[in-house]
Amino acid sequence: MPALDRHLLHRFGLLLVILAVGLGLSFVTDTFLSVANLTNVARQVSINGILAVGVTFVLLTAGVDLSLGSVVALSGVACATFAHPGDHTVFIPIAVGLLTGAACGLVNGVLVTRGGVAPFIVTLGMMTIARGLALIFSGGRPVANMSSELTSLAGDFLGVPIPVLCFASVATGAWFFLRNFRLGRHIYAVGGNENAARAAGVPVERVKLFAYGLCGLLTGLAGVVLAARITTGQPNAGQAYELDAIAAVVIGGTSLAGGVGTITGTLLGVLLIGEINNGLDLMGVSSYFQAVIKGVIIVGAVWLDRRQSRS
Amino acid sequence: MLQALELSKDFGGLTVLQPTSVDFLPGEVHALMGENGAGKSTLMKVLAGLYRPDGGHVEWRGVQADFASPHDALVAGIAMIHQELMPIPDLTVAENITLGAEPCGRFWQINRPAQRQRALELLKELEANIEPDRLMRTLTVAQTQVVEIAKALGRRADVILMDEPTAALSEQEVAALFRSIARLKARGVTIVYTTHKMDEVFKLADRISVLRDGRLVGTSPASELNPAKLIQLMVGRELADIFPVRLPPTDEVLLEVSNLTREPAYRDISFRLHRGEVVALAGLMGAGRTEVVSAIYGLQPATSGEIRFKGRPLSLRDPQDALAAGIGMVTEDRKGLGLIPALGLGQNVTLTALREFCRGQMIDHKAEAVAIRSRVAEFTIKATSPSQPIAQLSGGNQQKALLARCLLGDPDLIILDEPTRGIDIGAKAEIYSAIQGLARSGKAVLLVSSELPEALSLAHRIVVLRRGSVAATLDAATADQETVLRHAMPL
Amino acid sequence: MRLTPRPVAGALLAACSLVALMTAFSGCKKTEARKPGEVLIGFSSRDLSAEYTAKLSEAVVEYAKTKPGVGLVMVDAQSDAQKQISQIENFISLKVDVIILNPCELEASTPAVDRAKAAGIPIVLVNQVTKSAGNAYIGSNDVDAGHIAMEAVAKKLGGKGGVLMIHGIMGTSAQLQRETGAREVFAKYPGLKLVDHQTASWDRAKAMSLTENWIQAHKGKFQAIFAHNDEMAMGALLALERAGIKKDVYVIGIDAIAQALTAVKEGRLDATVFQDAVGQGKGSVDAALLLARKQPCPKENLIPFQLVTPENITPFLK
Repeated sequence: MPALDRHLLHRFGLLLVILAVGLGLSFVTDTFLSVANLTNVARQVSINGILAVGVTFVLLTAGVDLSLGSVVALSGVACATFAHPGDHTVFIPIAVGLLTGAACGLVNGVLVTRGGVAPFIVTLGMMTIARGLALIFSGGRPVANMSSELTSLAGDFLGVPIPVLCFASVATGAWFFLRNFRLGRHIYAVGGNENAARAAGVPVERVKLFAYGLCGLLTGLAGVVLAARITTGQPNAGQAYELDAIAAVVIGGTSLAGGVGTITGTLLGVLLIGEINNGLDLMGVSSYFQAVIKGVIIVGAVWLDRRQSRS
Repeated sequence: MLQALELSKDFGGLTVLQPTSVDFLPGEVHALMGENGAGKSTLMKVLAGLYRPDGGHVEWRGVQADFASPHDALVAGIAMIHQELMPIPDLTVAENITLGAEPCGRFWQINRPAQRQRALELLKELEANIEPDRLMRTLTVAQTQVVEIAKALGRRADVILMDEPTAALSEQEVAALFRSIARLKARGVTIVYTTHKMDEVFKLADRISVLRDGRLVGTSPASELNPAKLIQLMVGRELADIFPVRLPPTDEVLLEVSNLTREPAYRDISFRLHRGEVVALAGLMGAGRTEVVSAIYGLQPATSGEIRFKGRPLSLRDPQDALAAGIGMVTEDRKGLGLIPALGLGQNVTLTALREFCRGQMIDHKAEAVAIRSRVAEFTIKATSPSQPIAQLSGGNQQKALLARCLLGDPDLIILDEPTRGIDIGAKAEIYSAIQGLARSGKAVLLVSSELPEALSLAHRIVVLRRGSVAATLDAATADQETVLRHAMPL
Repeated sequence: MRLTPRPVAGALLAACSLVALMTAFSGCKKTEARKPGEVLIGFSSRDLSAEYTAKLSEAVVEYAKTKPGVGLVMVDAQSDAQKQISQIENFISLKVDVIILNPCELEASTPAVDRAKAAGIPIVLVNQVTKSAGNAYIGSNDVDAGHIAMEAVAKKLGGKGGVLMIHGIMGTSAQLQRETGAREVFAKYPGLKLVDHQTASWDRAKAMSLTENWIQAHKGKFQAIFAHNDEMAMGALLALERAGIKKDVYVIGIDAIAQALTAVKEGRLDATVFQDAVGQGKGSVDAALLLARKQPCPKENLIPFQLVTPENITPFLK
């Protein structure tokens, strides 16, 4: 079963890279391999992870979403605005944050499907529009004074950080969805060959709209989690988050041309990026070198991986 | 001159080419014959540097040649025309023909007039009337094929490998191609050729090599073979008449098309289709056949006219409407409008009728797997596993998978646009019997076919299109090829 | 391509509505004819999404409103020096009388100053200097800020212990000068060790992640964190609180933004360094008006920093 073997090899290869980097780090630093630090890594990757899962859906349809970072900021600001102590129950700000994200995603989706504008352009526009709206709604200032109920979302539940739980359930849900739902199969079909999918009776427009909408909703969730974590809605938060998220997804083996990719791959990609960020801080590598090393590892991981799957 | 020595090739554990040795002589037309999956295309692709052999090697002018890429082979003088066309849709015909060998001026700038001139010459050699400034994407499949051939001719290659070059060509285009092949042969060029059309082989080939299941059965001069003997070598058994018996259709009208129009492709198209009936749309390339059936499937809706299905008028905006009404289609453009290359064979088969294997919105994997297994067996689709990416299968197996996809939704009207193009005789016979089976079970089939014997033997009636209008409706039992052609030719 | 009347009309309509839209969102000052004798100020703010800059910019706008016969056009460079240079070029073609520039970067914003000077328009720098001097500089010496903050740390630790430093965006003058000020203090107290230092790009979320990682890497080896601004200090504070070790670590930032002041009052953040945004904003408008009216103006007006601790917080809270 060559198809299956290749997938196993693919994931195995990336897993090896992650383990090798981890092994290296646990030799170089004496703290990397501690429960506390690994919890740390999990907590720090959860926001990028939620975004990466969302954007996996869009990339699978052969689209792209560049507005993630800005929509994170906008959702965070929207959430924080409704989260002052005593204003509303905690569900209102959460819902506002999620819906803000979903609305941005749906606008992207409508413009891509009905408007026929290239996803790159649509989401590039949304990137600056959402950033602008975040600044307008917040008056350019961080929206502070959030209720402790909401900020407790960044705390622990039974010893596990809640952002990690969010990420884990989002990833599990997405994995299950893509595997077991008709719409999930349709997403692969649309990304693999849009015209053939249409000819086979797949509702292409609806599928794409769903992918962008879901990506927006998850971006909203990331915005809420980030706001809870830094206890403010920051209009300038989330700069370049989309790049980290897309990098993670591509490292995980998802094709930018669409139709190929898995959530497990995305999960591994997110872990690798998080591991590198954490490791470089632990080792006290200077800021200048960090940027270079990160870039080299990202390109190198993808290169190794592609080389392996070709042979 | 060119020799394959003990060449072998594996794909993911499946040996598609056993160690095979063939030699090709200068100035000969050498036909490679065999069913789909017999290893013809693989052998050609190894010769052209597209695949690296897993065993053996290629000898070229007496030295071991190790072509790392098609470009290496091209430089050495070996060009290939692919079965799956590879044009660049947004370049012009001239740009495609001269791709990689553009005539350049002093500053490396492309010499446009020279480029155009070169393209014109090559097209003229093929007696093709294609404007060199047209965009590739505006061409029909047949014209695209001609351009691909012109491109290979332009490389002044000593060996030209042609994989199914005539699959999509009309009679005149085939004749023109044969004349250019004769000219090339006179120049000492070696032509390696695959086809599924028996008459072509005996008209053209000097020697024939037969492959079966990845093994070379033998090479012999064409004069020592006849069609029956050749088929026997290819399939390893004798084939009875491959066209099954037709039963008379019912009186119940299933589809009624009136005055269907979409200028400039076709106008005022009217015909009926009864349950139990097979109707073929015949006509030359560009007569509007594909466009008409695309309208009935909602792929490219007509601008006026009426389609009545099961007695009710049907408004078709996209294929979903057609499928919901009970109309299924296998498109002509397998690569562009058929396959989802990255999905497995099984998932391609169940794509259209996925709802049948769902509980609510969720896929019932067990039910799906059962359905896939039974369809793969029913249509004898050869694959290592149902999860094998469909892009790795041979053309005939891909076509059978797409037919299986279409039939899984149990449509009442099945539209088949060139269903046997580029597939071997065994697979053809299976598709023919599937078509008759459908008609017998009270469904109706609308067939588009460029092979007249096929259309005449399968269909009850033939609707001949000429330049977008219905020229005649003929009873297949009494019509012959000549009559059909007379109606199809522009006056 | 042939142009038929319909697309031309469509394009014109689109262009008109675009202009109308832009006018609706602009302050309208630009489009009105300038009254004779009115002084028009062009103000390019570094980044309105940063709280300190927003406060400073608001002070500039509000204060200019109180002056009769003064018009002000404000633009936001969004931390992009390239954008800022084009904004200054736009001011020059608008023929403003004087420019107030809140530079993005020490080096990269320098051409903006040179352009204005070449066009003969006086330019006031506020809060940050560039390589070329403006006609006046209103600001505070960031070296002092770093010095004041590290002195507070040294005093708290008794001149002995481990310190972590979180940089702003590397290469900005605030980052460079605040680091210089801090390093002066390290030189003075040999017992003070710089355990690790790293950038968090003025960003709260990044500073929080960085501090979490440091808690793992250097647990027990540091007693203070100095962040180059309050945003990052707040991030560090949150990380320490979550880890439950805030009581062991002294945290200080710079800028005295509202949230930081509240945190100091609540006893969560140990201290911040007050930079007088309103004072700087007002000072820059005063200087700009003097220059526009060709009156003598001091080259430099330094507004001092002040250390804010729970003991002296009240007057800063307003």
